[in-house]
Amino acid sequence: MRKPFSLAAFGMLLATGPALAQQVEPIEFTLDNGMKFLLLQRDEQPNVITAGWITPAGSTNERPGITGISHMLEHLLFKGSDTIGTSDPEQDRDFRERLTEIRRQMRTMVFEVQYPRFFRGEIDNPWMPSNDTPELRELRARMTQLQDEQRAITVQNEFDRIYTGEGASGMNAGTGHDFTIYYINLPSNKLELWTWMESDRLLDPSFRELDAERFVVVEERRQRLEATPTGILDERFDAMFWVASAYSWPVIGWMSDLMAYTEDEIVEYFETHYQPANLTGVIVGDFNPDEARQLIESYFGRLENKRPPPDPVVTYEVPLRGELRFSGECDCQDRVEVRYRAVPAGHPDGPALDVLADLLNGRTGRLYRSLIEDQGLASSARASNRMQRSVGSFSFFANPRGGAALTDLEQAWYEQVERLKSEPVGERELQKVKNQAAADSFRQLSDNANLFFQLAIYEAWVGWEELNEYPRRIQEVTPEDIMRVAQTYLVDDNKGVALYTRRQAGERPMITLEDVEASLPEEIREMIMSQFRGQLAELAAETDIEKLRESSEQLRQQASAMPPQFKTMFDFVQQEIDRRIAEIEGGAE
Amino acid sequence: MKLLFLTMILAGPATFASVATAGDLPRHPDELTFRELVFEPPAPEQFRHELSNGVPVYMIESTEFPLVTITFSFKGGAYMEPGGKAGLAGMTGAMMRQGGTADLSPSEFDEEADFLAANISASVGPTTSSASINTLTANLDRAMELFLDMVREPGFDERRLEVLRSQQLENIRTRDDNGIQIALRELAFLMWGPDHFEARQPTRASLESITTDDMRAFHARIFHPGNLMIAVSGDIDPDAMLAMLEQKLSGWEAGEPAPSIPAPTASPEPGVYYYEKDQNQVQVLIAHRGIARDDPDAVPVQVMNDILGGSGFTSRITNRVRTQEGLAYTAGSAFSNRIEYPGLFMSYFFTKTPTTALATRLVFDEIATIQRQAVGTEELETIQNSLIETFPRNFESKSAMMNLFLSDERTGRDPSYWRNYRDMVRSVSPDDVQRVANEHLRPDKAVILIVGPWDEIKQGNVDSEADPSRVATMDEFGQARRIPTRDPETLEPSR
Repeated sequence: MRKPFSLAAFGMLLATGPALAQQVEPIEFTLDNGMKFLLLQRDEQPNVITAGWITPAGSTNERPGITGISHMLEHLLFKGSDTIGTSDPEQDRDFRERLTEIRRQMRTMVFEVQYPRFFRGEIDNPWMPSNDTPELRELRARMTQLQDEQRAITVQNEFDRIYTGEGASGMNAGTGHDFTIYYINLPSNKLELWTWMESDRLLDPSFRELDAERFVVVEERRQRLEATPTGILDERFDAMFWVASAYSWPVIGWMSDLMAYTEDEIVEYFETHYQPANLTGVIVGDFNPDEARQLIESYFGRLENKRPPPDPVVTYEVPLRGELRFSGECDCQDRVEVRYRAVPAGHPDGPALDVLADLLNGRTGRLYRSLIEDQGLASSARASNRMQRSVGSFSFFANPRGGAALTDLEQAWYEQVERLKSEPVGERELQKVKNQAAADSFRQLSDNANLFFQLAIYEAWVGWEELNEYPRRIQEVTPEDIMRVAQTYLVDDNKGVALYTRRQAGERPMITLEDVEASLPEEIREMIMSQFRGQLAELAAETDIEKLRESSEQLRQQASAMPPQFKTMFDFVQQEIDRRIAEIEGGAE
Repeated sequence: MKLLFLTMILAGPATFASVATAGDLPRHPDELTFRELVFEPPAPEQFRHELSNGVPVYMIESTEFPLVTITFSFKGGAYMEPGGKAGLAGMTGAMMRQGGTADLSPSEFDEEADFLAANISASVGPTTSSASINTLTANLDRAMELFLDMVREPGFDERRLEVLRSQQLENIRTRDDNGIQIALRELAFLMWGPDHFEARQPTRASLESITTDDMRAFHARIFHPGNLMIAVSGDIDPDAMLAMLEQKLSGWEAGEPAPSIPAPTASPEPGVYYYEKDQNQVQVLIAHRGIARDDPDAVPVQVMNDILGGSGFTSRITNRVRTQEGLAYTAGSAFSNRIEYPGLFMSYFFTKTPTTALATRLVFDEIATIQRQAVGTEELETIQNSLIETFPRNFESKSAMMNLFLSDERTGRDPSYWRNYRDMVRSVSPDDVQRVANEHLRPDKAVILIVGPWDEIKQGNVDSEADPSRVATMDEFGQARRIPTRDPETLEPSR
């Protein structure tokens, strides 16, 4: 058996001995149809493998109108094929055609009727079923009915069921700005199952259950983004920071586009970006490579390139040439981010920028020492160098402590930047970061799944060999390199600043009896208040918690029918009942 | 280089060729055959050693990388916090790593650990505590000295404590920003009772009251050889490692063993509870008390729950709520068993406001179905095969395997458990599934906890659903109780 790693000393001296660099040496081959494979044997985790494949296509291969389609397709590729997922492929096709027709009609109606209504401010969302016109409502009911009928011949989640029953686990996929990756863990003896299942879905996928899955993705968007403290602002800041390139829209897509995809658009995207010549398969773990190669050739060899290769992503990013500032409120901690344009994966300045981030991070890093400990300005602070296929960014993030203003943190950061530009970093400080990078280069290889991801993603971007090269380049970074990259990238007309502040409006102030009095019309004020005080006294004496809960619920139900002049009084009663309930509950504990 | 994929030669149909033609290949995965994979779980005794002070050591060698991982695991945790000191456990663990040692200031300690590229950590969990180190073999001696100084004589530096306290205060100030966090906290209050350690939450007052003396006293009760077990894996010479542990631990006195873990006494009233939060997705948790780890029904319950909602897409709740109806991205169910007392059954999903009631109805439908109808053999076998075939993964990573043996010994798991596990799974029948579904799923006892804008949730999808059979409002689940919105810092009702 080939040893997957060889350990080679590369001469850099640590305080405690030579640093070692791992050499990962996968078997590499390409099928006649252009699909490439990387096979890495590793017997440290016996009887298991991690297997998967990657396409270098992601949200940057999209265009306005179909943003998020890479991710939508990723979901639909788990629906099976003519063989998997249906008991009657012909009827299934017929259902899909009928659904496509209804979807076409609904889409036309939404664009022609609902979009104008939305632009005129008559409805809050042109796609939401609650805003449907009667005609749309009827089409939607027919769609639901057809979907229910189709269910009789659909074998739901069969793709997952087959894998699960054979002991596979962790089946999943991920979509990024510039790749989409599919993977699973399997017992070693199930390699042929993997080649069967994956080549089948690539050969002949069937995008059934499209509309239900569309709503699943909408829920995913809410869960990941909209219902999180900073999700929406993060998305908007990205959209501002990337000016020309496709990195400006979110991987999951804009809500309008999610609602609008057609099956044709999805098929076209699939046939373009999932051709075998655009794919790389990767297997890591305890398996026989000769056997694997045979299976791969038989199964993946079936795939054909049906279209010309995908068009390159034409529009590259343009320099900022000015400072962007973004501020917004969210239900979140106050936060500042200063983000600079930096470099993509494979750029020679990447390692120096990574080392620069490492010098700033951790409890011995400059940010903790200065901003958190010495100046007491921040409760947390970190830097990050992010490299993608064709762009990169370098960010500073911090949350303030005590009364510190976000702009104080911003200033403190600029002082750090000035120091980085003007003083060479000390030898020991640099060596510490390199020692950590050297140890981490082993740590990140000590698991099949980690190895799988690194091989696949490096391969999709710059070639898998980068996995072996990169740790070496980190060790070669000099203090001059760090000063130079700070001077080059951490400059004012190359940055965006995002200031998030905590929303205050959510915390309503307590209503007082005086507020109630003032809110009532003068002519009835006296009369109402005298009655009202008596009722409040009764409320304060009430001990039956069920009764209180009942009145609270009743009040809530009447809320919308309350005349505006009594609104404050009404809210006050609600508040007092809740307080009374809480008092009783608190006492009972 | 970046355009690698564009320079590849496009293989047209004419050059398309492969070893086998499509006709030779099995038409369905059912037709595939696989060679048998024999796996017997390793016996823990093989890896067990004992120091002269009685501390057990589980140890395994691996030479793949020049790295060593050592974990010190201690009995004792947050359940031992004194009254009014919620948060002490977590802060003690964090401060052990951040607060220096008796000999080294915090920055000296951190500087040396970082220069050695040693990952050193400490934490105090709900019922157990641990400290661990991952270091290059070449640096083992010095890294181990630092590690042991941290474990035995942490410094609890005052300035570092103030930094940590400010972070913790910031965390509690913003803890209602996240709906999932609210849901889990309120469910814990209901299920365990607010005073049980599983539910206990730090407040501004409790965090402000914590002193370095509190931490020293708390540390001393947990981190001593009387509570200790050790797991070692990586690039080691086992004899030398044992000798080093023996020598470095000598003279370390055992204290009182950690007390037993208290069972909860709360019995929540079933029904709908809601917590008001303005958001466009609602978190729903449906829960009741479940079973203990060593319950005789534990394996059939695991099988039953995997069918119901515990095995991703293959399970019924996920299939129904997510795949069929498109109501949620995350939906499923779980039994989280506790060792000392029955744990929780919980079903969960996150959905848009109007479909909360419909999705809730579907979950209860699935519970009723698994109670009413015997499960089909194919569905049952899929789950059984999955549990049997994934069984070796429990022992896949060497360090995880050592930690498994260690925790089994600490918790007194039946030594034959892993040996018999696959047979126990195999023997589960459709009748067993139905029986445990009736016995251990208790919709009549369920607490339904909802976080979101109640007025909209309550009305359901009356305005948006075209199919009358899918119209649902929260009325069908009975009277709802409002949990007063809390002040995040005090957790007292805020208005």
